Amino acid sequence: MDSSEMNEGEIHQIDSDDVIKEEDETENEEGEDLTEDAEALKAELAKIVVHPPSYEQSLMEEFDQAEFSPSYKDNLPKENLVLQYAENFRRQMVQLYRDRKPLFLNPVNECGVEKFVCTTIRPTLLEFKELYNWDGAAEFVADYLNIEPLKPEYELPKRLISPSTVLKRQKGNCFEYSTLLCSLLIGAGYDAYVISGYATKETCLADESRDICPLLKKKEEVQEEARKKEMKKYNVKPPRDLRSKFELKQESKKEAEKQAEKEKQRKEEEERIAELEKPPPDPYFGLRIHAWVLVLSGKREVPENFFIEPFTGLSHPMDSSNYLGIESVWNNVNYWVNMQDCSEGVKGLSFDLGDSTVWEFMFPNNDKPLLKIPDAEDDLNDMDDDERKYTSSSISTDDEEHEVEKYLDMPPSWVDALKLSHRDFQMRCPHGKKTKVYKRAKLEKFAHYLMKDGLISRLSVYEDRELTDLMKVHEYYAHRSDKLTQKLTNHRTGQVCENFDPGRPRCLKEHQFKSSTPGPENERVMIFYHEARVDGLVKREETQTEMTEEYSNRDDFLFYKYVEFGKRAKKFGPQETSSANKGRPINKMIQKFHRNRNKPANEDIAEIIFHVAEDKIHISYHTEDVRIAASTREFLKPPNWDEKGAVLTFNPEMHQTFQVDPMLPMNKQVELYEMLMELLKAEEKCRNEVRDSQNEVRNILDDRTKEEAASELDISVYDTERNEKAKKHRRELERQQLEEKMRKQEMDIDYLAPFLAKIGNPEKLSKQQAFSLKEECLADLKQRLIDKANLIQARFEKESQELEKKQAWYQQNQVSMGKEDEEEYLTYCKEAIFRIHILDLRLTRHKEQAPHKYMQLEQKLRNDERLSEFF
Amino acid sequence: MSRLYDTVEPAVIDEEMLKKAVEEQGPKEEAGKIAKQEGIDFGDVLSLRLDFLNILKIDNLWEFTKLTKLQLDNNIIEKIEGLESLVNLVWLDLSFNNIEVIDNLDSLTKLEDLTLYSNRISTIENMDSLLNLHVLSLGRNQLTDLENLRYLRRFKNLKTLNLSDNPFCKQDEYKQYVIAFLSNLEFLDYRLVDQQSRDAAIEKYQVSRDEMLHNEKQAEIKKEDETKRQQELEKHKNAYVELMNGPDLFEQMYAEDKEGQKLNEMPEKFMQICTQIFDFGIAEHEKREEEVKSFWECVEEAKQDNKRLGMVHIDEFTETKKRMLLEMSQMSDHKMVEQYARDYNDKIQVLWDKLMGLELQLVDQLEEVIKEFERNMQDMVGTFVENVQALLSQCRDLENNHHEKMMEIAIVTLEKVIKNELDDEISDDLKMLLVDKDTIINAVSSSHDVHLLKIDNKEDDIVTRINQSLKNLIEQIHQDEEITRNRMRVSEINNLIDHLREEMDNLEVMQN
Repeated sequence: MDSSEMNEGEIHQIDSDDVIKEEDETENEEGEDLTEDAEALKAELAKIVVHPPSYEQSLMEEFDQAEFSPSYKDNLPKENLVLQYAENFRRQMVQLYRDRKPLFLNPVNECGVEKFVCTTIRPTLLEFKELYNWDGAAEFVADYLNIEPLKPEYELPKRLISPSTVLKRQKGNCFEYSTLLCSLLIGAGYDAYVISGYATKETCLADESRDICPLLKKKEEVQEEARKKEMKKYNVKPPRDLRSKFELKQESKKEAEKQAEKEKQRKEEEERIAELEKPPPDPYFGLRIHAWVLVLSGKREVPENFFIEPFTGLSHPMDSSNYLGIESVWNNVNYWVNMQDCSEGVKGLSFDLGDSTVWEFMFPNNDKPLLKIPDAEDDLNDMDDDERKYTSSSISTDDEEHEVEKYLDMPPSWVDALKLSHRDFQMRCPHGKKTKVYKRAKLEKFAHYLMKDGLISRLSVYEDRELTDLMKVHEYYAHRSDKLTQKLTNHRTGQVCENFDPGRPRCLKEHQFKSSTPGPENERVMIFYHEARVDGLVKREETQTEMTEEYSNRDDFLFYKYVEFGKRAKKFGPQETSSANKGRPINKMIQKFHRNRNKPANEDIAEIIFHVAEDKIHISYHTEDVRIAASTREFLKPPNWDEKGAVLTFNPEMHQTFQVDPMLPMNKQVELYEMLMELLKAEEKCRNEVRDSQNEVRNILDDRTKEEAASELDISVYDTERNEKAKKHRRELERQQLEEKMRKQEMDIDYLAPFLAKIGNPEKLSKQQAFSLKEECLADLKQRLIDKANLIQARFEKESQELEKKQAWYQQNQVSMGKEDEEEYLTYCKEAIFRIHILDLRLTRHKEQAPHKYMQLEQKLRNDERLSEFF
Repeated sequence: MSRLYDTVEPAVIDEEMLKKAVEEQGPKEEAGKIAKQEGIDFGDVLSLRLDFLNILKIDNLWEFTKLTKLQLDNNIIEKIEGLESLVNLVWLDLSFNNIEVIDNLDSLTKLEDLTLYSNRISTIENMDSLLNLHVLSLGRNQLTDLENLRYLRRFKNLKTLNLSDNPFCKQDEYKQYVIAFLSNLEFLDYRLVDQQSRDAAIEKYQVSRDEMLHNEKQAEIKKEDETKRQQELEKHKNAYVELMNGPDLFEQMYAEDKEGQKLNEMPEKFMQICTQIFDFGIAEHEKREEEVKSFWECVEEAKQDNKRLGMVHIDEFTETKKRMLLEMSQMSDHKMVEQYARDYNDKIQVLWDKLMGLELQLVDQLEEVIKEFERNMQDMVGTFVENVQALLSQCRDLENNHHEKMMEIAIVTLEKVIKNELDDEISDDLKMLLVDKDTIINAVSSSHDVHLLKIDNKEDDIVTRINQSLKNLIEQIHQDEEITRNRMRVSEINNLIDHLREEMDNLEVMQN
């Protein structure tokens, strides 16, 4: 900081500050090796407490100490060491540069414990991919937190809250913003630093009302250079220009003058406006303290150094006029003090942190490559002796070298791991809403799914700076089931333009209309996703009496259709309800076609005009490659063309043509007649298509009204939190799993239980007991298997007996039996035999399996832990 | 055919029959009436049906050049003939006739559907040019040889085939054989060929089928090589240096020189020069091609620009015409109408002036460019000829050297022979020459003359050919680009202007 910018009062303030701190320091140093007496003395002294009349204390928010982990409430020995070291450093700085402003080194944290700023940075990589790049992370920090301005704005804050707490309470000052952002950036692999320095009032207060909204900035139009015509050897010479050269010269001169005049006026106007819009002079200019983030090139393919303004999340170039000076810079490993002159702002500052002539580092383990050979040591060696004893642990004196070694590494961060829930991340802004004011514009941001209609941001553009005269509103939507993504309302002209994502039923992409006349048959433009449409419709433009449609990639080469409507004939008499749907009469239809290379140009229609009102059809053909004129044809429609089933007559007067090539033979009458018939059909088809188009417009508009009324939101199937259906499904699955588990448990019935119960469930089995238990168990199984076999056999016998009986009965009564009875008997026989067969099969299978089952049980018993010790 | 055609008088295709058929099958109703009034040109007829007419001989169909569908079924035709001029035929139905041999179908290359059902055909043949065949019906014929079906493999598009009721259908393997060897078939004898039966058939005939496929592939590769070689040669010919990349010229020199052959000695240098000529020729040829290409590009561009301008003028005029006609139709004052008509005529005149001006401008531009092109081409050809001549004269020097050496050796050898000192065995042919000095000298110098002559011939050939082709090219350009194009455009403009005037006159007449 340049001394010239400091006023007297501040110097005094700093001095007095220093004195107090020095005294503290001596006390601390003595405290290193206290004797018992000294301890007693200390305790005695501790009783004497002086309460400074601090007005800040009352302002500071109190935190519930219980919710913090011990590292917040206490310092590790190493941290204490570092703090001492820092204090030493500070004192040296004060000694050497008396007119420097104090450094931001060891503010208290939320628990009132002094912490070194470097350890407050907690490099973290969160699981959200948006935070992996600097722009996403910066935007997130800017959105997620609310700004607490410094009070007063020309003093360093007394307290620096840890980034984890900042994330929780969602607000913070510029230092807390920067520390959080820096933690995220370093976690993501960037070479990022917190800068403490000075900035303009607008920057400090995040007042963007003088900046143009970034969303409104026009992208620089890439002017495509007109491809210069390649000069070929045989290019023909252009025809000679017969105009007077002098006159041309005069004209161009005049034109140039006019241009210059205009340019001048425009510039003057701009200057005037710039003058008007200049902010009022700031009394604290150059004194307002601010913190922001520096990203150095090298890591993560960052090509150039740049600043990030944490309040806005935007990047600024190294010569940004928003920043006025830099006091110090730090990251999680080191702390550097700027030794360069900042009277010109930050322009031209070197960020070669390894160069100790311009950056005084605090810890000697400077991992920055030294680009220049440092000659700082000489400076430091020139120090006075008394200063030297004062600064017993000076950074770079030789005799301290080994001591320095001890301090080489920074203690780990005392801050708890940064945590961010998915929900909080999606809510982004505090309570999901944030409003920003820009120059002549207001931007409101909303979290996804927060607004019922899916609104995620709204940008209102105003005519004036006071934001009273609304010009247009740009609304962005997400997750809408009607695929609406953007809506631009121009309040001046009443134009509304809606943009849609692909996937709507009629492939609508863009819809422009006047908000005053949203109904059909009014002015509107609809643009479609033509790749998805069967008819290849690209655009449909309507006015009250006309409709123009543009197509692409059609098999019939149609690319343009124009319809002119007449006025609805007023009907007298009883009102027909369907008259409104009937559509307006068509006066004229024009269809244009691309060239179809498969047909000769003379037969390939380029344009058909149906003069409906005049009963005429006009055709023009494509021009042949070697010609300049095109053939045309005109038909008069037969008088009875719209009668159904009537025989249409034709005579040569109904047709007129102009053929470019007079040598071509005349068309035959039959051909002409057939052509006319085709054309009549084509006209009918075209008319139907127009009606269809009209209906489609009506349908789209109906759909839109319905959708606007419902405004449903789509929920992704992967969104487990919001998707009710998925949630239900998952719960159902879990329930099923649980049931399955229960059932399994039930299945696992202890086969020994009944036998154990018989001998009274002893705690421990004797050998004999075990043996008998096993025997019993096996015998039981054996018995059961035999029983089962017997049961099957009994059934088998029963069935066969019955069958025999029946057969005997049949033999006897066969003669007297009716047909039905016989059939019944036969079916019975079939079934009985089937049953017998099955029983037979079961028996054999049982016989086969029974020994295996027996073996299995035996094996199981052998392995049973209750019995295993005996076998 | 069990028809009693002996008893029925065979009919002849005559004009009356054709007229009747055409009128019956032509447009119906109102269109038919109009057509009848006007008469139908046989040349415009697209489809013709001549069935159940007892026709014995196909004849008098040469007028139907546009015909795409011809039905001659249920006649007593015995021979396929008289269809040569029907090149547009896509569908031909000759079923239920007495045809014995497939023949005379070579010109019908567009044929896709051919029906020869119920005839007396015993071999499938003479259909090599019908490569577009989709549907073929040969059912109820006298086909006996299954091997003969392999003939159908050449029809890559053949999807539907009918062979039912032929003698070979009684053989067990008939169906599988057909499916295996005609694997593109989708329908055989009215049935869909499913994948399962196809797989089975292919498996059955795996070995012979593989062999056949292999042979076909080999033949194809050979054919490709052949065409490639032809193309290469064609390219060299265009560069006027064909066969110069090998010892061809040298061999030619000795081809007609039997005696020289005996004294032969392969000269490496000669080859080198020939190759040089060849490379140079190819390079020069590419240069010329490039030149010609850029010339045409520029000419096309100029023509396109001109066309665009012309079209803009015409469009502009059409717009004014529309407006004026609209205004005129709403006018009632006679004088005003006349005034307008005069204006209109003036405008037509202006249009004519503009279009003609453009055309003249184009003519000037093209003339200049063509002249420049001609000059450049001549220069290039000149350099080429000069270089070739220089290189060939090097050849001649070599030949002279060679001749001298040859002479020396000959005399020395002769002396040796005379002195009987020659150790080496020499051929009897050579001995014949080595009798006396005159003979050997004559032989050597006549050989030399032949060689020189060959070189001269080659030179003449190259020079004349290149000059001729250049001349042709230039003449063609003059003819096409200057004369024909200009005439056509001028007549087009005049035609347009006449039409516009006429339109106006008609309008005036109508109003009057």
